[in-house]
Amino acid sequence: MIDAMTAEALKLRGHRATWLMVLIYPIVFLLFVLVQLVTDMTGTAGGAQAPTAALWIEQSHLVWGAPLSSGGRFLIAGFAAVVFAGEYGWNTWKLVIPARARWQLLAAKWIATIILLLAAFAAADLLGLLGSVLRPLAGGPAIPAGVSLSDVAQAHAAAAAHAVLPILYTVVLAGLLAVLTSSILATAGLSVATILLEQLFPSIAFFAYGYAPALTPALAQLLPFYHVTNLVAWAGGSGATIPLGANATIAAPQIVSLAALLGWTAACGALTIYRFGRQDLN
Amino acid sequence: MRISHLPVVFEQGTVNMEETVGALELRSVSKIYGRGPKARTAVSDVTLSVRHGEVYGFLGPNGAGKSTTIRMALGLIRPSGGEVRLLGRAVSDPGALRRVGSLVDGGAFYPFLSGRDNLRVLARTQGHAGAAIGSLLERVDLAGDADRKVKDYSLGMKQRLGVAAALLNDPELVILDEPANGLDVAGIQDMRALIRGLAADGKAVFLSSHLLHEVELLCDRVAIVAKGQLLQEAAVRDLLEGDALHIEAEPVEAAIAALAARWPVERVAGGLRVEARRANAPDVARHLHAAGVDIYRLAPYEHSLETIFLTMTKDGHD
Repeated sequence: MIDAMTAEALKLRGHRATWLMVLIYPIVFLLFVLVQLVTDMTGTAGGAQAPTAALWIEQSHLVWGAPLSSGGRFLIAGFAAVVFAGEYGWNTWKLVIPARARWQLLAAKWIATIILLLAAFAAADLLGLLGSVLRPLAGGPAIPAGVSLSDVAQAHAAAAAHAVLPILYTVVLAGLLAVLTSSILATAGLSVATILLEQLFPSIAFFAYGYAPALTPALAQLLPFYHVTNLVAWAGGSGATIPLGANATIAAPQIVSLAALLGWTAACGALTIYRFGRQDLN
Repeated sequence: MRISHLPVVFEQGTVNMEETVGALELRSVSKIYGRGPKARTAVSDVTLSVRHGEVYGFLGPNGAGKSTTIRMALGLIRPSGGEVRLLGRAVSDPGALRRVGSLVDGGAFYPFLSGRDNLRVLARTQGHAGAAIGSLLERVDLAGDADRKVKDYSLGMKQRLGVAAALLNDPELVILDEPANGLDVAGIQDMRALIRGLAADGKAVFLSSHLLHEVELLCDRVAIVAKGQLLQEAAVRDLLEGDALHIEAEPVEAAIAALAARWPVERVAGGLRVEARRANAPDVARHLHAAGVDIYRLAPYEHSLETIFLTMTKDGHD
């Protein structure tokens, strides 16, 4: 299995546009850190005040917000679209399918994609943290009193943990769409549409509640859209509450949304394996 | 020659008998695309067997179902009916497919990777990270271009890379779909030598090609398909062999008298045509000798594979 994952990494490394969709996070953060350091050195920041310890720690793990944002998930979905649907476009499933069981080929793609994305976010996170630590040396604001290594590590680990499931869900959903559509463009387009639907879901639910007051809350709890929004909100400290009308809201504890999204991810993964396992590759 | 043997178990006890297992066996394999009134039969009830150490040609006009059959043999397409067995195991068994090498759609490689990296990816996927990629590239005469991107390869170079990919896992069964596509004359000769070498090593080679002369030179047995159905499966030698002998002998009248009682004889330009098989040639010669006839030439009439193919698949072209 490790061999199959290495093969995936080798493929992706050769496809520069796709590889850039992974490297973009550390590259952007490196540029951000360099600009910040240069600004501190030249004094153009105008003597910025040192933040509080809590704010300093929060700002140091900003990168983990990317997988929770729509823009970040568009990129993740685009990356997964090339990884999964690319094989149809290049006509290369025929090359690799006789080499290994189909479910293993999918598993290798899932694992390699998620490891590469997490590694990229972790690298960007470390760069951001390094920049925050170096700023006082370049004349920027000092590290505030009360910042401890254990607090920093704990906050970064928590931020990373909150990002894992949205990344996993986005990758698995894009993989399913790739197997269903056999097209990079269609996969990317439908993934973007799904993510946009999540953003629009509160408005859609509010509108639908007027016509189907019993069905709307049940569907909201069943479908993945609200749960993604809720988990993203929980990453910020409190859950999402969607108003539906007078005295009616959609709300759920973090654990419920976690379980629901895990269920959807597992269901999408299982459907991908089932569909791909029976797919004719002409 | 490596041949797998399995004991055959009968209901009334175990019989100490062995059955030779074909490298590739198709048993009543069918493929129907679509459902209801739109259903289209691509392959219908095809049964054939490819043995270890032989080159097996698979011939048919365009749209005969060759590619569909090859894809079913590689587990890329699920048969609608029947069974595909590779090296004695079901095609759904990944362990069987791992002992098979294939070249399908010669250009199916990652275009953004070099030839060498494509083989590396495939070797890793197969779990053979230590495969001798360098020597394989030399074997197919691509060592000098191994680090160029595949998108810059010619069709012939992609075909050669495809053959290298097919041999990466030192397979027992090699399935080659149109391996000579895009190759020049020297390339075709090299390919011929390579394929014969594989068979000499005991590997089974299943070869689809539209170059009938190549098939005639290369293959031990052939199957001819048209409209999704198997028309004939036979040894190439048997297929080419005519059902008559051409004889030049003197005196002609004595020759006719000596043979006519046993075989139909007719005069043709340059001699006699005797309705007898190749195997009867010594007997014919003895009869003529006993009648005091001098034989100047005795040879079986032979068909060309092209003639046989065109005759058998005529309906497929119409």
